[in-house]
Amino acid sequence: MPDCSEYYQTEISEGRNKRVIKCKFCSSVILTPSSASFTRLEVRKYICLNLIIFHVTMYEPVIIIYKLPHIRQTKGSESDPETEDIIHFWAVEDMMTFYNVGFSNTVGNTKYLTCADCEAGPIGYHDIPSKMSYVALSRVLHSNSTEKN
Amino acid sequence: MAKTYDYLFKLLLIGDSGVGKTCVLFRFSEDAFNTTFISTIGIDFKIRTIDLDGKKIKLQIWDTAGQERFRTITTAYYRGAMGIMLVYDITNEKSFENIKNWIRNIEENASADVEKMLLGNKCELEEKRQVSRERGEQLAIEYGIKFIETSAKASIRVEEAFFTLARDIKTKMEKKLKEASNPPKGGHQLRASEPQKKPTSWLSRCTLL
Ligand SMILES: Nc1nc2c(ncn2[C@@H]2O[C@H](COP(=O)(O)OP(=O)(O)O)[C@@H](O)[C@H]2O)c(=O)[nH]1
Ligand SMILES: [Mg+2]
Ligand SMILES: [Zn+2]
Repeated sequence: MPDCSEYYQTEISEGRNKRVIKCKFCSSVILTPSSASFTRLEVRKYICLNLIIFHVTMYEPVIIIYKLPHIRQTKGSESDPETEDIIHFWAVEDMMTFYNVGFSNTVGNTKYLTCADCEAGPIGYHDIPSKMSYVALSRVLHSNSTEKN
Repeated sequence: MAKTYDYLFKLLLIGDSGVGKTCVLFRFSEDAFNTTFISTIGIDFKIRTIDLDGKKIKLQIWDTAGQERFRTITTAYYRGAMGIMLVYDITNEKSFENIKNWIRNIEENASADVEKMLLGNKCELEEKRQVSRERGEQLAIEYGIKFIETSAKASIRVEEAFFTLARDIKTKMEKKLKEASNPPKGGHQLRASEPQKKPTSWLSRCTLL
């Protein structure tokens, strides 16, 4: 899993998105500048290793990455979608902050996010318990102009 | 964070099963070999931002999950709705006749001042038409609401329909806000009710294809 934070640094200003976030496929505006915060989503779980001979306990970090389903799936994979590991997200606290977006029907604790115009997605997900929405940086376009082109 | 919009409107689509409500709102695409992950799950609602007379309006638009097949649209679905698109299929007489029943259902379940609009969908199917445009117009006048013929398939006037409904809600809302800030002086206990809208000027734009 390559860490692309450096490439993304240029898109972040004071922890928020510097530029307009658009759909990769149709340029529909998803978020306006400065409306989301950059999040490197990694949930660390620690596995307890008891090294008895040294009488110490060590904790081994394991990073859990969000598995976002691919946009295109081969037919027949509906119940077990192919996924991609993603850690860089734009976090949005209030769903009404989105300029244009679609919310899928619920799957478990999640609603997937889509482009409101061409419905390409998932471009991210909405976590129902925390009400937070996360847009994957790699699934959107960062642009200087709000024009649809 | 500061609010990035001036108004938030919740809109719904109502009408018989098969008239094209889901297509008016969504456009799933599939080909023979691939399916998109999203088309398999389905979309629940969309948030859209439009600019109306310099004001940023957020629209939250909901589709039914098919409950209309069993005529079981309940108060829960209508809760908070400020605008409703009543949709029929111009090639299906029955769907047009049922609009009256849907209006009754709305009166029983939705807030009394919800803004309504009538959509005659599939208007590109001229050769299969069963409901003339005049009958659509007439029904709309009867209920004092606006009317437009659309085609979700050919992308005809769908966007215009949502803009029109949003503008009407905004106008109504601004009127209410204005009244609330300048309450009528003495004597006038009751507010004048909304004047019946004259859809004439607007209908003249609705010439078909
Ligand atoms: N010709 C034509 N077919 C349409 C149009 N809108 C929807 N349909 C078709 O009508 C059928 C029912 O549409 P759907 O959106 O599922 O209806 P719903 O049950 O009201 O949500 C589908 O086969 C659509 O492809 C339209 O504008 N023109
Ligand atoms: Mg439907
Ligand atoms: Zn798009």
